[in-house]
Amino acid sequence: MKKIVLVGKPNSGKSLLFNQLTGLRQKVANYPGVTVELKSGRFEQFELIDYPGAYSLSSLSRDEEIAVSKLNDALQDPATALVICNLDATRLESSLMFGLQVQALARRQQKAVVFALNMADELQRFGHQLDTVALSAALGSPVFAISAKTLLGIHEFRQGVLALASAAEPAVPSADHGDEQALRDLSRSLSRQYGIQASLVLKNQNRIDAFMLNNLSGGLAFLAVMFLLFQSIFTLAAPLMDAVEAGIGALAQFVTGFIGAGTTTDFLNDAIFGGVGSFLVFVPQIMMLTLIIGLLEDSGYLARAALICHRPLSFFGLSGRSFIPYLSGHACAIPAIMAARTIESPRKRLITMMTIPLMACSARLPVYALLISVLIPERAYLGGLVNLQGVAFFGLYMMGIVIALLVSLMLSRFVISRDEKSDMPFILELPNYRLPHWKPLIVRVISAAKSFVYRSGPVIFAVTVLIWLFGYFPHDAGGLEHSYLGQIGHFIEPVFAPLGLDWRYGVAILMSFLAREVFVGALGTLFGIDGADENIAGLAANIQADGLALGAGVGLLLFYVVALQCVATVATIRAETGSNRIAVGLVVGYGLLAYALAYLAANLL
Amino acid sequence: MTAHTTAIQTPVRHTLWDAPKKASVLVVELLAGLNPLVVNRLREMGLEPGQQLLSLGRGPFNGPLVVQIQDCVYTLERQVAQHILIQPQL
Repeated sequence: MKKIVLVGKPNSGKSLLFNQLTGLRQKVANYPGVTVELKSGRFEQFELIDYPGAYSLSSLSRDEEIAVSKLNDALQDPATALVICNLDATRLESSLMFGLQVQALARRQQKAVVFALNMADELQRFGHQLDTVALSAALGSPVFAISAKTLLGIHEFRQGVLALASAAEPAVPSADHGDEQALRDLSRSLSRQYGIQASLVLKNQNRIDAFMLNNLSGGLAFLAVMFLLFQSIFTLAAPLMDAVEAGIGALAQFVTGFIGAGTTTDFLNDAIFGGVGSFLVFVPQIMMLTLIIGLLEDSGYLARAALICHRPLSFFGLSGRSFIPYLSGHACAIPAIMAARTIESPRKRLITMMTIPLMACSARLPVYALLISVLIPERAYLGGLVNLQGVAFFGLYMMGIVIALLVSLMLSRFVISRDEKSDMPFILELPNYRLPHWKPLIVRVISAAKSFVYRSGPVIFAVTVLIWLFGYFPHDAGGLEHSYLGQIGHFIEPVFAPLGLDWRYGVAILMSFLAREVFVGALGTLFGIDGADENIAGLAANIQADGLALGAGVGLLLFYVVALQCVATVATIRAETGSNRIAVGLVVGYGLLAYALAYLAANLL
Repeated sequence: MTAHTTAIQTPVRHTLWDAPKKASVLVVELLAGLNPLVVNRLREMGLEPGQQLLSLGRGPFNGPLVVQIQDCVYTLERQVAQHILIQPQL
């Protein structure tokens, strides 16, 4: 199939255009080599591929470097029929430079280029007419003024793209505009001639920024946004989580009632509904977090948040750009570690990657939720505004961040050498404030949930089944204590005894080095086999009835705040840093720190 | 009196970092000492001698500078802004 390549600068409506051209016929593909997500979809008889956004073809950061090299590959591919260069019509001056660079590159590879000047609806709002005919002539490639949002000019654009991509001879850009300096001069003069006045476009943005970036109001707004973000993960997701839990409970009752008592029912109850089910309950929270981060990103606020955090984060050896990976690390460390590619300073990027695993990712949520409901009474103060369990959650999140900052400080002061020459400074574009586009956002939220389930599901399923088998058999030996698992558990018990934890916790912790959320499933299966109560909602109650000392419980929480228990994260760190030493060092380092903190809590509280 | 003071004043080198809030300034020179890749990016962004900029002030905590270059708003950290010589525009 012939390919059409879509490129553009970030924040210029490229993804929306991609959605409009491909509809729902799209998939996210991981291309070989460096992991980079390229979306591809069908556009008529062509495959349209959405390339990662870049500010320039001379790259500063790792993500730009990857984007540029992928684009180079695509241009050399004989199957590539056309390059669509998506630019922001309201900001010709800063967009055309990139457009001209892409055009020159395509010209060298004898590929056709078409310019999509997106967001032209905003030009209309200001009563500005863009002379696309004259601009096409000056650029030497066809130009379309479109809006992927309002569909302005999309029909003509589709037809133009089809004609250009199916042409027997590619419409290679006619003019050679010269060297970099000449391109800069040309982009400037063309934008003066055809573009809209910058002060008109930036008026609203600058007015909002005067508030959002002000010392006092900006700081308060930042704190308010962060507070709302974390608050809503719990309050908004709670009813959904209850619904999932009730659904699984009902399904369990229906299915097991149908089969009747026996080994099969025991297996379904303990391993499937008790083990796998107790982790599905947390999918709504992951979706909520992805939704809110997506909203912040779409609105343009994330860039401001990075700016506000730059100075404080610099103190700890990080960059303002570390803020976004840190934030998304609260959903999942894996995309967050990839997102660290946007950090232009290699040194700060490394420190950020090494500390992201301390962010309270969604896999920790099940563990925190379970242990908090065991240890902390459900009490509300100030008329329900402050919830004691919520405060505990917040405390655990903050603890993760604080430890990450301290580790960063240590790494930057003592471990990772400072090479000023290779260090890149903090330069960031502040995009316009925009309302979110709901459809792509919902797609993203669903795919986050899916990838969480697909990635963790099989592991959790395998582990819970294994635990169940080893814990259930030999069945006549006299319960869990004497099962194969019990024997293994007693063998490793000395390691966990100093933390005040018995062998069942030991088994669950050990298993959760695969993935943290396994802890809940494993414990659910273990207590399910042992306990008379087969209700999965009752796991916390089961543990309470069984008795978990406060010190040991708090120690267990601290252990999960710090320890790096996630095979996928370790693999990602290894791939991104290219170093086994760093990956293994982090598992060992965080493991020892976690153990030490848990030991202190168990013995001091 | 005014003429006299101007005459004995040594030329002060203003950098973008010191530009007052809401001030329109002209880029005079990019000082040596920045990574060539960064210089290249700054030029692409429009930070070239003779270009006009609008300083929008510093972020919270005496944080990075916010500046309008052409039709975009960027934030630049101190280290970069101090390498850009400017001339206040009247």
